[in-house]
Amino acid sequence: MLKIETTKESNHVTLHLIGEVDASNSVELDESIIALMESGEKNILVDGTELQYISSAGLGVFMSYIEDFQEKNISLVIYGLNERVYQVFRILGLDQLIIIKSNKEDALQEI
Amino acid sequence: MFKLPNLNIGKISLLVAIMTWLSLLFVDITRLFGTVNQMESGIAPEISYILQVLFFIMVYLFYNYSINNSEKSNFLDLIWRGASTGIVATSVSIFISIFYYLLGDSRLASDPILRNFFYHVDFAFITLFLVSCTLLWKHLILYQRTKRVVNQWQGFEIGLLISMFFVFFNQNTLDYSFLFGLSVLIIFGAALSVNLKWIPYLTFKEKWKSILFLVIIQISSAYLFVQVLSYSGSITPYLNLTDNLFLLSLFGFVFIYSIFSFLVTLFNLPTSSVFEQKLVEAINFQRLSQSIKPGENENQVLDILMDSCMSAAYVDAAWLELKDTEGNKNIIHQRFINNKERKIVQEIIQDTKPFSDFTWEINTNDNKTYVGKLQDFKYKSAMVIPLVVNKDTVGRIFLLKEVKDGFNKEMTNIISTFVGQACISVENYRLLNEAIKNERYKEELQIAQRVQRSLLPSMLHKDSTFQIHGFSEAADEVGGDYYETQALGDNQFAIIIGDVSGKGTSAAFNMSQMKGVFHSLVQLNPSPRDFLIKANAALSHCLEKNHFITTSYFVLNTKTKTFKYSRAGHCPTLFFNAEKNNSEYLSIDGMGLGIVRNKLYEKYVQEKEVGYSIGDILILFTDGIVEAKNDQNEEFGYERLKKTVNKYKDLNADQLQQKIIEELYDYIGKSTLPDDDYSLLVIKFIQ
Repeated sequence: MLKIETTKESNHVTLHLIGEVDASNSVELDESIIALMESGEKNILVDGTELQYISSAGLGVFMSYIEDFQEKNISLVIYGLNERVYQVFRILGLDQLIIIKSNKEDALQEI
Repeated sequence: MFKLPNLNIGKISLLVAIMTWLSLLFVDITRLFGTVNQMESGIAPEISYILQVLFFIMVYLFYNYSINNSEKSNFLDLIWRGASTGIVATSVSIFISIFYYLLGDSRLASDPILRNFFYHVDFAFITLFLVSCTLLWKHLILYQRTKRVVNQWQGFEIGLLISMFFVFFNQNTLDYSFLFGLSVLIIFGAALSVNLKWIPYLTFKEKWKSILFLVIIQISSAYLFVQVLSYSGSITPYLNLTDNLFLLSLFGFVFIYSIFSFLVTLFNLPTSSVFEQKLVEAINFQRLSQSIKPGENENQVLDILMDSCMSAAYVDAAWLELKDTEGNKNIIHQRFINNKERKIVQEIIQDTKPFSDFTWEINTNDNKTYVGKLQDFKYKSAMVIPLVVNKDTVGRIFLLKEVKDGFNKEMTNIISTFVGQACISVENYRLLNEAIKNERYKEELQIAQRVQRSLLPSMLHKDSTFQIHGFSEAADEVGGDYYETQALGDNQFAIIIGDVSGKGTSAAFNMSQMKGVFHSLVQLNPSPRDFLIKANAALSHCLEKNHFITTSYFVLNTKTKTFKYSRAGHCPTLFFNAEKNNSEYLSIDGMGLGIVRNKLYEKYVQEKEVGYSIGDILILFTDGIVEAKNDQNEEFGYERLKKTVNKYKDLNADQLQQKIIEELYDYIGKSTLPDDDYSLLVIKFIQ
C-alpha cells in the first residue's frame, strides 16, 4: 500500500510517501514526480519518514529522473528515511547520485 | 432354430384381400346364375358372409400396416390420402351410374350378372374408402394419446369386429337389433371424435387445405351412402352386402369425425396465427438460449434477437445500438428504416419521456424496458430495451410501431424475456472466450518459464578445491534473478550473481540480456571492475529508462587462493572466515548497472582482492533472501543470514544451501507466499 501526499510550501514542494513502494504501485510515484516536473517545480523534497519499504521498481523511478533533474536544474532531496530503506539506497549506490538527508532541516539547507 | 420368414403383412393382406374379393364375386355370381336359371346352386349365403368378413379384415390389416409405415408423413398427407380414396371410390361409383345411363333400356342394362359385378366393384371401393378413412381417423385421434383414449379406441375396434359378424344373425336386414348395434357404434364413434388435438399444429395454410380435403371426404361419404341406400332399395335378386352393420357404422364414424374436424378447423382459423406466433416465439427462444459456439459471432445471436423481437410485437421499424470497447455507439441490424429517418427518430426518442430516463452508466438496467408514445409523424409508439451483459449496459434495441400504444403487456414481457436470454448467451460467449484466452496466456507463460529456467545453469564450473551449489526460486512464473559461472583457463573461475529490477516478465527479459552480456564479456577475461564498466556501457543501450541490474562479479584463483571482486549495487556478499570462525559482509562501494549511463560510471565502481583458506565459505545471494518478511512484517535480514551460516559452517556447500533455505522458509512461515525471487550461491573452499 502506498499513499502519496503533496504539500506546497513557499519555496518547495514536499512529496510525502506513506507505506511501501513496490512494483505494483511504483507507477503512482512516477506519475506524481512527472506532475511536479510539468508544473515547473524546482525544489522537491521527498519525505520518507513513513516509507516502510521500497523495492527495486521504486528505486527505478528515482533513478530514471536523475538526468532530467540535472538538465532542468531541479533539486530533489530525500529525507527522513529509516535505516532499512536508507540501506537499500546505499547498497545500490543511489546515495551518491541523490541527496539524502536525515531530517527536514538538513534537507532544506540543500535547496 | 426354426425361423419365421420375414413376412410383408402389407403385401400379403392386399393379395389375400383381392383374392377374397374375387372368390366372393365368383361365389355370388355363381349363386345368382343359379337363381336366374332356376337352378339350386346349393351355395349357402354364409359362405359369402365369411368371405365378406375376411375381406373386411384383410383391407383393415392392409391399411393399418400402410398407415403405420408412413408414420412420418404429416397430417395433411394423411387427410389427402383419405380424400383421394374418396375421390376414386366416388368416381368409380359415378362412372358405373353413367355407364348404366348410357346403356339406357338395352338388354345389357338389365342383365343381373353384370349389375351384380358392378355392385361388387362398388362394394369393394366403398369398403376401401371407409376403412382407409377410419384408420386415418385412428391416427389423428391417437395423436398425443392418453391411456384412456387408447383404451377407448381398442373398445371401438372390438365393437367393429363384432359388427362384422353381426351379419350371421340378421342377414343384413334392418331390424331393431341392427339399429341398436348401429346407434351404439355411432355414439361410440362420436365420443371418440372429440379427440382433435392435431388441429392446432396446422399452419393457417394447412388448415385451409385440410378443410378442403375434409369437404371432399364428406361429399364422398354422403354420395356413397346415398348410393348404398339406392342399392338396398333395388337389391332383391342378389345378396345384400352393403347394408352391413360394419359398413354403416363406418359411414357414421367417418362422416361424424370429418364434420367435427371440419368445424373445429374452421373455427380455429382466426386464432391460428396466434398459435403460430407462439410456436415461432418458442423456437426463437430456444435458438437464443443455445449458447454461441466459440469462433462464431455474437452478432448472430443479436440478429436472431432482432427478428424475434420484431415478430413478437409486429414492429414496423427497428435497430440495435451497440457500444464497443471504446464506448462508441454503433448501429447494427437496422431494419425497415433508413439512416436519415433513424437519426431523426432517435433524437425524438432521446428527448421524450420515459426514454430520456435511460442512462448507460448505472448498473441497474437489467430487465428494464421503456415503452411510450412518440411525437413523430410516422411512428406513434416506441419501445427501448437495454442489453445488459455482466451488469454492463452494452447496447439498446429500439422498436417502433406506426400505431399508438402498439406495445401491450404480453409483447413487452416476451421481448424482455428474449432480451434477457440473448444477453445470457452473449455473456456466456464472452466468458468462454475469456477463459480460452487466459488458458492461452497461461501456456505462453509456461513456455517463458521453461525458457527462463534454461537460462540458469544446470551445472556450475568448479575444480577439486572448492564446492559450489546454487538455488533459485521465482515468485512469479518468471523471475529476474541470475547466476552463472565460467572457467577462465586453469585455476581461474568467473562467478556472477545478479538481480534485475522489477518483477515478472519484464525482469525476465532483462535477465536474459544480462546473460548475453556476461557470456560476451567473460571471453575477454576482464577484471571484475572492467567487467562491470563494460557491462554498464552495454546495458545502458538495452535497459529501459527506469530499469537497472545489480550484480556481483568474482574472479576466483584456486592456485593463489585469492579472489577479486566488484559489486554493482548488489547486496554485499557474505564471507565466512574459518580461521576467525566468523562471517562478515564484504564491504565495497559500487553502483548498479544502468543507473549512470555514461563514462562517469567508472567513478562509482571499485575492485578488491581477498585471500582465502580452507574452510572459508562465500555466500552470494539476492536481496529477496534478506528482504523476505514473516507474518509480523519483519525481514529475514543480514544478521539472521550471518547466524545461519555460522551455525552450519561445517556442512557441505549443497547441505548448507539447503539449510539456509529451510531456515528462511521456517522464518517466513508457510502461509506467506514469496513476493520476491530468491537466489543463493554457496561456495566452500575445501583444499
